[in-house]
Amino acid sequence: MSKGNIFAVVLIVAAFFVGRHWFADTPTVMTDSRSGAGYSGGAESTGSARSGLVRAIHTAPRTGTVHEVREGELIMDKVKVAEPGDTILVYPGSYSETVYIDKDNIRLSGVIEKGQRAVLDGKGHLNDAVLYSGNDIVVENLLITKYKGNAIMGQAGNNFEIRNNIIVDTGVYGIFPQLGKNGIVTHNVISGIEDAAIYVGMSDNIHVAHNQVFESVAGIEIENSRHAIVENNYVTNNTGGILAFITPGLPVKTTYDVIIRNNFIVGNNHPNFGAPGSTVAGIPPGTGILIMAADEVVVEGNIISDNKTAGIIITDHNNAPNTTIDPESDPAPDKVAILDNLMHNNGYDTIDEAKALMLTEFKTGNPDIVRVGVSRDSCIINRHQYVTVGVDNWAECGFTHTGDIMTYLLDKPVEPREIDPSEVGKVAYLGICAGCHTYTGRMIGPPVQVIQALYMDNAQGLADYIANPVKKRDDYPEMPPQDYLDATTRLAVAEYMLSVSK
Amino acid sequence: MPKTVMQLVLIGFAFLSLSVLADPAKVYTTCAACHGDKGQGNPQLQGPVLAGLSGEYLTRQLQAFQQGKRGQHPQDVPGQQMAAMAKSLLSEETDLAALSAYIEQMPLPQQSTRLSGDLKSGNAYYQNNCGACHGGQGQGNPAFQAPRLAGQDSDYLRRQFMYFKRGIRGTDKSDKPGRQMAMMANTLPDDKLNDVLAFIGSL
Repeated sequence: MSKGNIFAVVLIVAAFFVGRHWFADTPTVMTDSRSGAGYSGGAESTGSARSGLVRAIHTAPRTGTVHEVREGELIMDKVKVAEPGDTILVYPGSYSETVYIDKDNIRLSGVIEKGQRAVLDGKGHLNDAVLYSGNDIVVENLLITKYKGNAIMGQAGNNFEIRNNIIVDTGVYGIFPQLGKNGIVTHNVISGIEDAAIYVGMSDNIHVAHNQVFESVAGIEIENSRHAIVENNYVTNNTGGILAFITPGLPVKTTYDVIIRNNFIVGNNHPNFGAPGSTVAGIPPGTGILIMAADEVVVEGNIISDNKTAGIIITDHNNAPNTTIDPESDPAPDKVAILDNLMHNNGYDTIDEAKALMLTEFKTGNPDIVRVGVSRDSCIINRHQYVTVGVDNWAECGFTHTGDIMTYLLDKPVEPREIDPSEVGKVAYLGICAGCHTYTGRMIGPPVQVIQALYMDNAQGLADYIANPVKKRDDYPEMPPQDYLDATTRLAVAEYMLSVSK
Repeated sequence: MPKTVMQLVLIGFAFLSLSVLADPAKVYTTCAACHGDKGQGNPQLQGPVLAGLSGEYLTRQLQAFQQGKRGQHPQDVPGQQMAAMAKSLLSEETDLAALSAYIEQMPLPQQSTRLSGDLKSGNAYYQNNCGACHGGQGQGNPAFQAPRLAGQDSDYLRRQFMYFKRGIRGTDKSDKPGRQMAMMANTLPDDKLNDVLAFIGSL
């Protein structure tokens, strides 16, 4: 055989394989999502009888006392005398304090006069603006700035409403309901947060809507939580826009049944300024939506554009940066459903890992959707619209929209959380400590197993430390004092922390 | 090193050390045989890198060797050698703090051989299991009496890690940092140790 013939044979064989790849695709499946079957909710989801606007949990007229606070007075003085059912009105002016609400059914409400708000100013040295551990708490109409820890943190309170707040540069978390059931976070404007602007942690039945979050490391995070809807938010110029996560090592091990819909997720390309080594520090700038290990996440109706790494990244724990494996959590994001979204100009300056994945599928272009690692039973519609990698084998979804689900909020407020005295330490651990400390990993503070090694059986030493922490690690944020907890609770939570095993 | 040579070195330095108790630079010549003249370590002799370690850590370890809290376990042969040296060559009059301070000011060692491993995984497990005490860049943290790891010989780190894990080191009741490390050594999955060592080697 002459050289020319060999060349021809090689060419034919090569053309066969290239052609098989290029032309063997099945005809484009076009799905009309304006009709068709609706999503009926994830595991254990219950229908809601609500209709119309989802704006509030507590709608009955308030009959309690109204306490007024004006500049020069302390909000905390009114909290101390308030009874459940009371309202605290905070008039425009500057307030520099930490408000800790450890009773039920209090409405903390700023009064906005001609655009002037009550300003809670941490002045760069206070840690938290508003902490609540009560149930049925409302926090609204405040302007919060220059705190080091949290703007508004819920600690195991149910039936919360956090709305109409403006939060600027408040440290680690902007709005952070932890271990809450049946809560609403709406119409807040949040920026400049070094972890998550809105962080829903270990919670259930949550509605996050109509918020504007920008210039934070993570925009909106649904973490180790179930039955959450994130809709109609404007999420722009964060490092990562909207995240549905299982963070390994937290006491609650699952995230499922999360709907992310009708959000603007635009230009989330902010440099990552999370503490190096922390979980969020691993988010590549330019990530629109990040789904890590969470199950039953439905993505629908979003405008996802100008995110330079990818519009949507779906990853398991094994392939996620700064993440270790929790044997108690399934590391794979299963039953993810990507319905119709407007995706445009994503992935134009993507990461090497995504490029390498695309090479394996002979793909070119800028990725809208990147899936890495294991994902079982996931589905997508109208995949032909996007540049994807890792989803060619996903099934067509059996539904095209989520219009049948108005909200996962409950029809009636849940019962206030009753805490048995023997459980004080555990609840404080879940509601407070687990916000920053996982058992095995570095979230914000050091892992619990490190704390256990450092303190061993010295619970009192740990209790003393949390009341008056000293900065010991240059590359970790400073621990805020937990001195609003009484000494008995501090010792109980220290004992509990030294005893947990996962 | 053959045993006879080691004994000769030992005897030689024993005489030397008697006359130079006061000057840490002269005392250090005793150490240099195994740890290098610049504290750069000597993997062939299983002598770890000393340059870059804090004076506090060095003093504490020297005392531990002298007082029989480290280097006593039959499976820790290099530790036994070091304990013998610490007892015989460094007399009770030796100013350990001055010696440690002398070593502390030695310039940081240059990178040695790189270990191969999954650096991404190594980084994740390092940051989550080790970095809280040893620092995000392996720089050590005096607040936890945690030594610098960056620049240390990988074989030495692996050996010490396994000592902690197997109860060979970090068991003495008065050695709290050692007991803390022993607890943490049991939290790292076995198959991640190499990745973590590779990551430390890359720092």
